[in-house]
Parts: sequence; structure tokens; C-alpha cells
Amino acid sequence: MLEARAFEPEFLKKLDRLVLGIKRARTVRAGNRTLGRVQGLGVEPENFRDYTAGDDLRFLDWNAYARLDQLSIRTFRADRQVEITIVVDASGSMAFPARDDKLGLALAIGAALAYVGMSDNDPVRMAAFAMRRGEMRLELTPFYHRRESYLEFKPFVSALKCGGETRIGAAVDDLLHHRRPAGIVIVISDFLVSRTDYEDALARLAIARHEVKAVHVMGEIESSGAYPPGLYRVRDAETGAMRETVFGTESAQACRRKVEEISAQVREFCAARGAVYTRAFGASSLETFFEHELGALGVVR
Amino acid sequence: MGFLEPRNLVWALALGVLVIIYLRSRSRPTLEVSSLMLFEQAPAPSARVHHLRLDWLFWLEAAGLGALVLAIAGMYAMAPARAGGGRSHALVFDLGAAMSAREGASTRLGLARQAALKIIAEAPAGDEFSVITYALEAQVAAPQSANLAVVKHAIGSLQALAVAAKPAALSAAIIRARGSAEIDLFTDRAPPERAIGGAVGQAAVRVHQIGHDDGNLAVAELDPGLPDSTRGRAIVRNFSRAPQLADFAIDLDGNPVLHQPLMLAPREQVIVPFGPLKSGGLVRARILSGDAIAADNVRWALARSDARGRVLVLSPDAEVRGDLARVLIAVDPNFQIETVDPASFARAGGAVAARPYALAVMHDCEVRGVAAASTLLIFPPLSHHGTAAAPSDSVRAKFPGLRVEATLGSATMNAGLARAQSAGAVSALDATRVLEVPQWMNVLDYATHGSAAAVTPIVAVGEIPAGRAAVIAFDVRDHLLFDPDRLDALLAVVNVTRRLTAPANIRIVPTGAFVTLASSGAAQVEPPDGSAVTLMPDKWGRVELNPLQSGRYVVEAKGSRTIVLANYYDAAESDLAQPRAPAASSSLGASAPVSAPGPKQVFPLALILVAIALGAFVAESIVLVSHASRWGTGHV
Repeated sequence: MLEARAFEPEFLKKLDRLVLGIKRARTVRAGNRTLGRVQGLGVEPENFRDYTAGDDLRFLDWNAYARLDQLSIRTFRADRQVEITIVVDASGSMAFPARDDKLGLALAIGAALAYVGMSDNDPVRMAAFAMRRGEMRLELTPFYHRRESYLEFKPFVSALKCGGETRIGAAVDDLLHHRRPAGIVIVISDFLVSRTDYEDALARLAIARHEVKAVHVMGEIESSGAYPPGLYRVRDAETGAMRETVFGTESAQACRRKVEEISAQVREFCAARGAVYTRAFGASSLETFFEHELGALGVVR
Repeated sequence: MGFLEPRNLVWALALGVLVIIYLRSRSRPTLEVSSLMLFEQAPAPSARVHHLRLDWLFWLEAAGLGALVLAIAGMYAMAPARAGGGRSHALVFDLGAAMSAREGASTRLGLARQAALKIIAEAPAGDEFSVITYALEAQVAAPQSANLAVVKHAIGSLQALAVAAKPAALSAAIIRARGSAEIDLFTDRAPPERAIGGAVGQAAVRVHQIGHDDGNLAVAELDPGLPDSTRGRAIVRNFSRAPQLADFAIDLDGNPVLHQPLMLAPREQVIVPFGPLKSGGLVRARILSGDAIAADNVRWALARSDARGRVLVLSPDAEVRGDLARVLIAVDPNFQIETVDPASFARAGGAVAARPYALAVMHDCEVRGVAAASTLLIFPPLSHHGTAAAPSDSVRAKFPGLRVEATLGSATMNAGLARAQSAGAVSALDATRVLEVPQWMNVLDYATHGSAAAVTPIVAVGEIPAGRAAVIAFDVRDHLLFDPDRLDALLAVVNVTRRLTAPANIRIVPTGAFVTLASSGAAQVEPPDGSAVTLMPDKWGRVELNPLQSGRYVVEAKGSRTIVLANYYDAAESDLAQPRAPAASSSLGASAPVSAPGPKQVFPLALILVAIALGAFVAESIVLVSHASRWGTGHV
């Protein structure tokens, strides 16, 4: 399966020098106040300011008071890390077409991004979501900081199975319910869901001040519409709905048009919300994805 | 176009199986996809797609299977024959009695042989010939071969038979020959267009009408009369268009009875009376002067012997005993008839039973211990199911395999099954037994019964080493045999009685008829031409002889000696002044193409069809590999 490649030494070697760039400062600011300047945290001096009542006297600069006869407080840069959450769509649609190994591609990309994200010892976790029997199941791994812990993701990646309906909005609700500091959320999905669902989900992540990156994964067969020709009854893997269709050149073109339409909609929405959109269509594009799309995801060398 | 083995077309059912598989595969297989959203803009299936979907795999497989079926059925094409390129000829010979007619120093068959050998000699090297003959039936004397020595030997071995050539046999011969590019038919008379036209197909038929008009005399009939009672008569017929002088003689057991010259007017038939004979015996009538056909110049008949044969009639019904006695007296006035009630006969015991009888007639009874050369059962008692084999001295021991199953309240007698199917019912019968007739007995008459007109045998006769035996299933009570509306019943009894009381060591039969003789071992047959033939008996101890030459056959087996005398006469065949074929002269070698669109030859298409099949299957394999590489083996 494709996800196993994410743990191959040769593959990881290519990712060793990559670093996941972060748009915002590691200090979090709100208005004029720098929330990150939490006194007593960090070791790197940042500035001096006048003492005000209530300041921690441990940070009073006694030497300056001796020379200048003025009470000054030393401030330090907060030593904070950015939490990276990689959310993988594990709904039923990710299992079809089986030959495309769409879930394997999504997991391989997710695991590789986790590896890259651990380059700065940032806490990284992986998550998978799917509706099972009417309930959202969001499976989360613990945060891992160091690349030495990267293999801890392997059981999660290997054991993940597809099933259920895609509900990105419900999954984001679950995720935000944990009330973690704002960080980076990478959503990997085929986005074969209603437009309102994924737009609502991505918007709420952005509102929660997360840096959102969307990776659109599609299989090679479904993105090209190259199904075996003939008259078929096609059944939706998630809803079970059926319809008759004739696979052929015409239907392949219609499929491609629809895929491009979905891709364009997600891209436009992400652009409007300041989120990053990349796409990985086809299992064979794993290398292509890392060569060409990592830049868009903010990965730097 | 045609098929050498049309029965193999049954393999075309495989195409039906293929169509079923195809239709099943067309039954819209279900494919699971990630989301139907992707197919919102895909076209919906239309009626055209439902019915005319082009499936290369199906059509390739159908083409391959179809080609193989046609190859197995032996499909061939008729194409213009290439000279010297293995062109096939069929030489068809009429072996009817007329082909034995003299033509100068040779016979018509001899002239036909010469004509055939001339064709063979003039044929280009590489041509193949087959030799087919017909008279009563068609036979392949030599299969198609380029070995001319074999073909010439087969032609040299041909002999005319003392039977008339049948049009059906000619059709069968042409059917056997129609695979050849050219058919040469050697006959002495114009063949019926109907016999050839329907059978020839596309092959060219050249008719070689052999012989000239010729005069022929024949002994058409010989009736010996009753010794010391009525005169006999012989009928001599002149088939010539000119007056003919014949030296005619009749003898009885070799002793001259009549010898006189006859002057016959053109196409005249003369009745020659003689006798009455002083005693019974073998009567022979001959035309001593030579004519065209020798086979019809002699005829045998058997004058009734004046030996007093003893006949025993057993019946519980006195009226039946009287009726049967009267019938038997009518058949042969010399019979000494004893009519006995079965109960009285049993009480009389061995003294009566030890006396030998020529014929024992048992009506509605079976009496043990009757010593008789022939036995006739009339309305036999029902068989007892589940019993062991009949005792050796019982009546049923002379009828191995015969079972009397049930009794019908009424039935309708038909004189022979063919007549039953064509002419309808003849006589109504009252009580009739349902018989299960063994294979050694020949069924002479049938009856129909029930609303479904089921057919059951009612008169059967046969001969095995244990003796002659016959069975009549219907009851003859109430003076059935003398009912003028039901004379068929009387005729059946008379016919059976004659067969049972005919001399055992001499048979007089028409040529071509099968003669069944009882023989406990292998029988040596000496035909009229002096050759020797060995016949092996079947499981019932019978040998069957089919005399195709006129004259005397001697059959010897384990001390018994039977003479079979075969009479030949056929008015049409013996008439040598037949009309000629319209386009043919009477000279040797004149030919009249009956159906000759041009020489054509059979070209089997098996190799081409197999090549087509292989090509189709290879193309199918390519398509399959392509599908498998594109969509995976699960979609193939």
C-alpha cells in the first residue's frame, strides 16, 4: 500500500532537509498586545519596559535601577511552538476506486508532512475522521515533537480503514472542541462532499486562527474518468445511492469536467480565506506532489 | 456451399450459450464509485446502447466459435475444378438385371466398364475417381482415390445383379457421389430426372446410356397347378418390338413335362398350359433359346406334394375346430386333420402325443407334449409373469421370448403396417391378445386399438432350430374366418398356414428378398455363380440370405441342406426397348448432361475457417490483455 512508503528510509531521506514554513510569528499577538510576551517564559531577552504595579519582581532589572534609579522590567521572548494537526479524510469515498489507493496516497502525504513538520520540534499529530453509524469518529494521535518519534505514527497510519460518510464540518467541530492553541491544520480529503460542508469547516478553522492548508486528493481513475467501458449501475460508496451510466469517452470527459469543477471551487474558497490549496491527483503523483506542491504548502528547504 | 457432416451443426448450440453469457454480462454490472457527484454530467443510457452495444469480445468470440462449428460441420465450397489438379470423378454404375443384357460379344455392363476405363485413361494425372454402384441400394465399390489400379480393379469386379434398379437407390448413389466435381452415370436407360435432380447438388452429371434396343423374352409366371387335378400354366412374355421364336421347356424334378417352340408376336404375352402334373415336386420353366437377359429365362415353382401331412387342431371350442379344419383343407386337400378338444387330448396322454404332426394348431390353449414340425398358436393364453423358463416340452419352449401380455376388447386389423398407415382400417376384430414378439419372428400384420390408435402385432411367424412357429393374436370364434366382411383374418390364417407347411428343405423366393433359415451353426452358401460364402447364425440360431442372382443357392449347415431357388422377373427391368434419353444417342460414349453447370469441385473450407477462428481468438486475447492492463483482471 502507498502509505507504507511514508516510512521507507529512502523516502524520508528526501524529506530530511525540508522545513515547514509558518506564516505567522511563533508569538501570538492580539491587537497591540503581544500575547506571547508572557513574563517568566523563555530565555531570550526581548526588551525593557517601565515597571508597573503588579509586575513580577523577579524580572526587575536591579542593575538598571542601581545605575539609573529607575525601575525597569526585563521582558523575554516567549519560547512557544506551533501545533500542527494533519487531518485525513477516512470516509468511504477514499476507498474507491480501489486501484487508485486514494487513502494510501492521503496517508502518505499526511505522514510525510508530519515528518517535515517535526523538523523544528513542533508538536505534530495526525487525525482521521469519518461518520460511523451516524456519529463522527475523529481519531487523534498524541502530539509528537521529535523526528525520533516519527515511527509512532506508523500504527495509526497502518491501521486506518475507510468507511462512512464524509462530514468535514462535524470533524472540525470535534477538533475545535479540544481547545488547543491556534496552529496549523492540514486537511487532506477528496472533497467529494457538499460545498457548504467543506466551506463551513475550513472557515471555522480559519476563524479559530488556525493556518489552514487543504490538500485535495483524487485517484487517477476517478480524476480521469477511465472506467471500463460499458453500461453499469454505479453505487455511491458512502450513501449507497445508485444510478445507471454508460462508461466511455463521453462519460470520461464529463468526469474530468466535474473533478476540475470541484477542484476550482475548493481552490477559490481557500484563496478567499487565505488558506493554501494544493492537489495530488493519482497515486503515481506522490513524488510529483512533493516536488511541485510542497512550496505551495509552505515547505522550504 | 454445403456441409459434409451437417449433423455436427448441433455444435452451433455453443453460440447460444455464448449469447446467454453475453446477455448475462450485459445485465448492467454494479460498480462502486467514490461518489455519484462525479457522474452528474455523464450521459444516461439510451435504448441504442441497450440493444446494439458493440462488444468486441463477444463478436470476436462468436466469430471464432462460428468458424469452428462450420469447420467441424465440414463446410465446403464448390469451385471450378482445375484440370489435372486433383479433380474428382465419381463413376456410378447401374447394376440392375438389364445391365447383364448381351451387347454383341459383351454385355451392357462390359460396355459401361470400357467407357469408364476410357474416361480414366483420358483424365489428367492426379485426378481422383470413386466407383459407386446401385441396384436395390447404393454401395461404394471403391472410395475416392488417385490410385487408378484400385479403381480399375473395382470396375473390373462389378457384376450385374438379378434385380431391378430402384430410382431411390440411384438417388442414394448420386448423393454419395455429389462431393465429386464430375459424376459419370452408366446405365442402360434414361434415369428419372426426379431421381437425380434432387440429389445431385452442384456437381455435373453425365449420363452414359449404354446399349441398343434389344429383344428379350422372359418367363413372367409359373403356376404348377394341382397334381392330378388342375393344369399348370406358364406365362412367357416378349419385350421385343419384333416377333421372337422361343424354345420353351418345362420339367418336373428334372423330368421333361413340356418342350415346344413358341412364336411370340411383338410385345406379346403367351400363356402356355401344361399338365396336370402326375405328382408334386419342383417345376422349372425355361426358355432354352438365348436372348438378351438370361436371368429371367428360368423360373421355379413348387407343385404341391401329394404326401399326406398330418395336422392337429386343438381348441376348446368345437366350432373353431371345425372352422380351422375347413380352412386347412382348403389350403391343402391332402392334409389329414385331427381336431381334438385340449382336455380330451390331455386325457389321451402319450399315445396320441407321440404321433408326429406336420402342423399343430392350438387355439386358446397350450398343450404339452405335442410333437409337431410346425406350431401355430391362435389366440394364445396369457403369459404368467415371474415364472421361470418354460419346460422344454412345453409349447412356449418353441416360442422363446414370446409374451402374451393382455387382452384387448376390440382392435382393428390392418394388413401390414404400411397399408395400415395408408389405406386405413380393414377388419374389426373382437378379442385380441397383446403380443410381445421376439426378434426372431417376423411380424406380418398389425392391429390398431384405443383412441390413440396404438399399434400391436397380431400375426408373426419365424423359424429357429426348434422348428417353425407362428402366432395369431386374435380370436377366431364366432366363425370369424368365414365372415365375408373380415376376410383379412382368413387371409392371415391361410398365409401363415402355407408358410408353416411349406417344404423345409426348399425355398422359392424372388431375388432381392431376404430368406431366413434356421441354422444351429455356421452355414455354407453356394450361390449360382459357384462361389462360396459363409454365414454366421445370430443368437436365435438363424442365418439370413439375400439372393441377388437368379438361380439355385445351396445352404448347408450341420447336416441340414436347404435349397433356395431365386426367381427373377421385373417387367420394367426386363424390357430392353426403353426410351432413350432425349439428348443421348444409343451409341457407347454418348453422354447427356443432366445437370451440368460446368465442372466444379468440392473445396473444403476447414483450414480457412480454423484460421479465421484462430485469428479471432488471438484478437480476443489482445483485447483481453489490453483490458486487463488498463482496468485490471477483475474487469476482464
